Amino acid sequence: MEFTGFPYLTAILISCIVGLVVIILIPGQRQVQIKWVSAVFSGITLLLSIYLFFAYDKSRGGLQFVETYRWVKTPGITYFNAADGFNLPMLLLTGIVFFTGVLTMWELDKRVKEFFAFYFLLVTGVFGLFMSMDLFFIFVWYDVSLFPMYLLIAVWGTTRKQYAAMKLTLYLLAGSALVLPAIVFLYAKSGLNTFDITVLMQPGTFTAAEQKFAFILLYIGFGILAAVWPFHTWSPVGHVAAPNGVSMLHAGVLMKIGAFGILRVGIFLCPQGWQYWAQLMAVLAVIGIVYGAFVGLSQTDLKYVIGYSSVSHMGIVGLGLATVSVDGLNGAVFQMFAHGVMTALLFSAVGYIYDRTHTKVIAELGGLSHVMPVASAFFIIAALASMGIPCLATFWGELMVFIAAFKTYPLGGVLAVCALVISALFMLRVVQHTFYGPRKEQYAQLADVPFDLGLPRIILLVVLVVFGLYPSLMFDMIETASIPFINGLP
Amino acid sequence: MSDTLTLDSTLIAAVLATLLPFASFVLIMVFTRNHRRLSAGLSIGAITVSLISAVFLLVCHWHLQTPLQYFGRWVVSGDIVIPYGFLLDPVSLLMLTVVAAISFLVQGYSLGYMADDKGFSRYYAFMSLFAWAMLNLTIAPTLFQLYIFWELVGLSSYLLIGFWYEKFSASQAGKKAFVMTRLGDVAFFLGLLLALVHLGNLNILELNSPRVAAQMSPTLITVSALLIFGGIIGKSAQFPLMTWLPDAMEGPTPVSALLHSATMVAAGVFLFCRLFPFFSQSAVAMGVFLAIGTITMLLSSTMAMVSRDIKQVWAYSTISQLGFMIMGLAAGSFFAGMFHLTTHAGFKALLFLCAGVFIHALGTNDIFEISRLGGRRLKVPTVCMAIAAAALAGLPPFSGFFSKEVILAALAELDNPIWLVAGLLGAFLTAYYTFRLIFILVVPDQSEPRQPDDSHGHAGYWQMGGPLIVLATVTVLLGFFQGPLENFFGNHICSVSAHTGSHGWLPYIAIATAASGLILAWVEFGRRNSARVGFVERIGWLYNLFSERWYMDRFYRRFVDVVIYRIISGLCTQNDNRVIDAGLDALSKDAVQSGRFVSELHLSMIQYRLLAIFVVVALLALYFFF
Repeated sequence: MEFTGFPYLTAILISCIVGLVVIILIPGQRQVQIKWVSAVFSGITLLLSIYLFFAYDKSRGGLQFVETYRWVKTPGITYFNAADGFNLPMLLLTGIVFFTGVLTMWELDKRVKEFFAFYFLLVTGVFGLFMSMDLFFIFVWYDVSLFPMYLLIAVWGTTRKQYAAMKLTLYLLAGSALVLPAIVFLYAKSGLNTFDITVLMQPGTFTAAEQKFAFILLYIGFGILAAVWPFHTWSPVGHVAAPNGVSMLHAGVLMKIGAFGILRVGIFLCPQGWQYWAQLMAVLAVIGIVYGAFVGLSQTDLKYVIGYSSVSHMGIVGLGLATVSVDGLNGAVFQMFAHGVMTALLFSAVGYIYDRTHTKVIAELGGLSHVMPVASAFFIIAALASMGIPCLATFWGELMVFIAAFKTYPLGGVLAVCALVISALFMLRVVQHTFYGPRKEQYAQLADVPFDLGLPRIILLVVLVVFGLYPSLMFDMIETASIPFINGLP
Repeated sequence: MSDTLTLDSTLIAAVLATLLPFASFVLIMVFTRNHRRLSAGLSIGAITVSLISAVFLLVCHWHLQTPLQYFGRWVVSGDIVIPYGFLLDPVSLLMLTVVAAISFLVQGYSLGYMADDKGFSRYYAFMSLFAWAMLNLTIAPTLFQLYIFWELVGLSSYLLIGFWYEKFSASQAGKKAFVMTRLGDVAFFLGLLLALVHLGNLNILELNSPRVAAQMSPTLITVSALLIFGGIIGKSAQFPLMTWLPDAMEGPTPVSALLHSATMVAAGVFLFCRLFPFFSQSAVAMGVFLAIGTITMLLSSTMAMVSRDIKQVWAYSTISQLGFMIMGLAAGSFFAGMFHLTTHAGFKALLFLCAGVFIHALGTNDIFEISRLGGRRLKVPTVCMAIAAAALAGLPPFSGFFSKEVILAALAELDNPIWLVAGLLGAFLTAYYTFRLIFILVVPDQSEPRQPDDSHGHAGYWQMGGPLIVLATVTVLLGFFQGPLENFFGNHICSVSAHTGSHGWLPYIAIATAASGLILAWVEFGRRNSARVGFVERIGWLYNLFSERWYMDRFYRRFVDVVIYRIISGLCTQNDNRVIDAGLDALSKDAVQSGRFVSELHLSMIQYRLLAIFVVVALLALYFFF
């Protein structure tokens, strides 16, 4: 076992798993205890991920906090965790969304124990995937994070939950059915007898043809999870059906797994395949951006609107990845982070509103600003972030992606920028019909969000604003990975 | 001026001027939402310090030779560097002072106007946000920073226009303002990217230097100038994106005053001034700007001629005056645009604030109604409004006369006399509709019975009156500062200025034009026993055309409803539901059914299963043995 210093990355996984075990051991009727345990253990992961984010030595760059343990020697499977400029933002995002998600579900009273157990299991998979540098483990973690999703939606969900859960699972399994052969193919072709990404990514390991073949499989496989058009329809349906804490994880983190998979596995191992397919990626991404915005315009359900805005935003991530440039990668990773926080805030805010009004239909809502100004403010600020208002984090990701896209694909860049108008239109429409307008009688006695329930939203809001006002905090981090990577391209 | 201490005090003043309103925004939103006095105090305190710092900067650098720049590291990603900084040159120094001064006056005025509003703290928070965005836009040293705060100005306008969100019309107007200006901003953003790709950075001074011509072909300069102008069209409500501004009066009246004078719409013209040397490199682009400015000015003047709503008339007049500024700038005179922007900020704020007093006291926007209720008895606003109206109409000795004259002189320099004729026609229409309103308001209508006046002397009258008197004084005096201001700009960009003063006859023509508009208004509305019906209202179709805003709004609404919502969005949604999803659902149904088919095969006929096993085994045997 090789560890350089304290194994912080493993500590994150361990605190998830210990939390899971403790939750299982507590009797189901002690709901408050279960919630507190969940909050404490998710809080530990958040603190650890914050520590890692700031402890990473940016001047040195590269892989840090490396932990390796040769697990199965013959096929070359290594337990290999490391942090770099690409996955640290994702780990931080997961920590934030995990902790705030637990707090958002504080009012849950149905099968609390099982819910949080599956919740922890899911997050363990997500954390594992983000920190792993071994293909085998990436695939295992990927499936670990998929399976609890089905139950979380099918049991605790709301609208058409069976259909949504089944659809989501089938889609994601189809994705993994494409990823697995690609991984096996790469493993077999390399002839190096290892799943270690750092070894496999050495130039010359794969021929251009092999890279092209493997990349398209990986791109579509992971792309399904990243809601790449036209494989996106599972995601709005899933968002809508899932309970709010799960929607937060789902849109905030799970979709990022897809984009991150494309980056970590597809782009790292098959850079030539990436360059070959980049134009296709750009076309699909631009269609996703524009199409998502237009579909979002006609939705009548609050969560569907957010779902389609996610499709549109993930298109921006895809466009950034498609530009094959430092700015594009910076923008894409930043956008992954910012979009994660922003959608988490949107769903968290909707969660509070839905729990009180028992409806997500926009036409039935209205005038909520009168009765719950603070809860409304959370949603409105997140909606502004979704429209790309400066000084909120999403602006910077979009800005960088658009600049990069404009250089590489001028037409695509122009179309994507034009979609900003549509996304402004549909978000403002939702805000107007949900929060503005005369006070409605049926909601007159609802209470505004108290401080303790507002805490998760405050955290998310602060993150949005901090990275919005000073985005260098994140860009400096991402650059330590993106600049060497792009310079190292053949 | 170059010693370190002075530079430091300059920097401190710049920081104070631009950052304090943000602090007050955050403090109000987070801590003092429930303490009305504290919120107002914070906001007004912050803007006071901003104003003092701005005036200090203006006075300190009155003889500024070379622009001062300060940069701090803000965003670095790859080779894209976006610093946060300050650019202090005559343009930004003057604008900074104007913005801070108008914001300060409007916020003071709002103490009275908004006194009874339950959203008092929120109002001051948004006002601070607005001031912060606009102040930072003013001193932006790069187009990036300018764009960022440009968007924030749009956001604050959205929040303030839709401030009374329980009214559907208000939230609708806010949304409309935001989306329409966004449309222009997209063009601006693309123009900015185009410039970035070819120049590598967006420092405004470098953009304005003649070296740009070496790095960008004339076509590229034209395209990017036109695209950037798209942003100006949106923000400054130029044709064809002008229809959001008249609706924007749904916000509280002080907000309109701010929006129409020194912020939001002024940002567009300010951007033109800022990039004037860059724009003037492209003659084609300047020609387009001139045409757009002229169309805007004439169209909106006609709209103002038939409106009965006091705020709407001033809103149309804003659009028309902005068009006028664009005309002056596009005609090649930097000073014309900047000077008219400054004078206009003063008298337009005054017009709206006066209107606000009437609305606050009498509870109506309708000018005939205000007249009937005896609005003229509110002496201070009536007199102030008359002064401001005279400035708007371009009558000497008020400030508007001087600045309009500079613009007309610039237009007279052009080869084609049509622009000057259009400018004079605009001046005539402006004088006509301005005094139409004034006469309706001031001259009592004999045909109707007098109402007893009981709405006098309400609370906050003098809180509102103070800023009016200050602005009226400015309106009277500012025109005489033309000379010093010209010197102030003189050593900067004014070398491009076409103003030579060779048209000695022009002022007389201008006065005559304005006077004839005034006389026409007097004949129709002012004299004893006048019918109080304008000549436009006698012509039915013309009246409809003007009051329907040339059917532009109707066209946009239909376009959005039919093309955007029904056709494109509808088709995409149908595609999602009927094609992608339905296809996959059918696929999965097929999969389930084929599975069921196979399983039935298995269940029912055991002999087939045996046969299948036999075949498989036989094949395997064949494979292994041979």
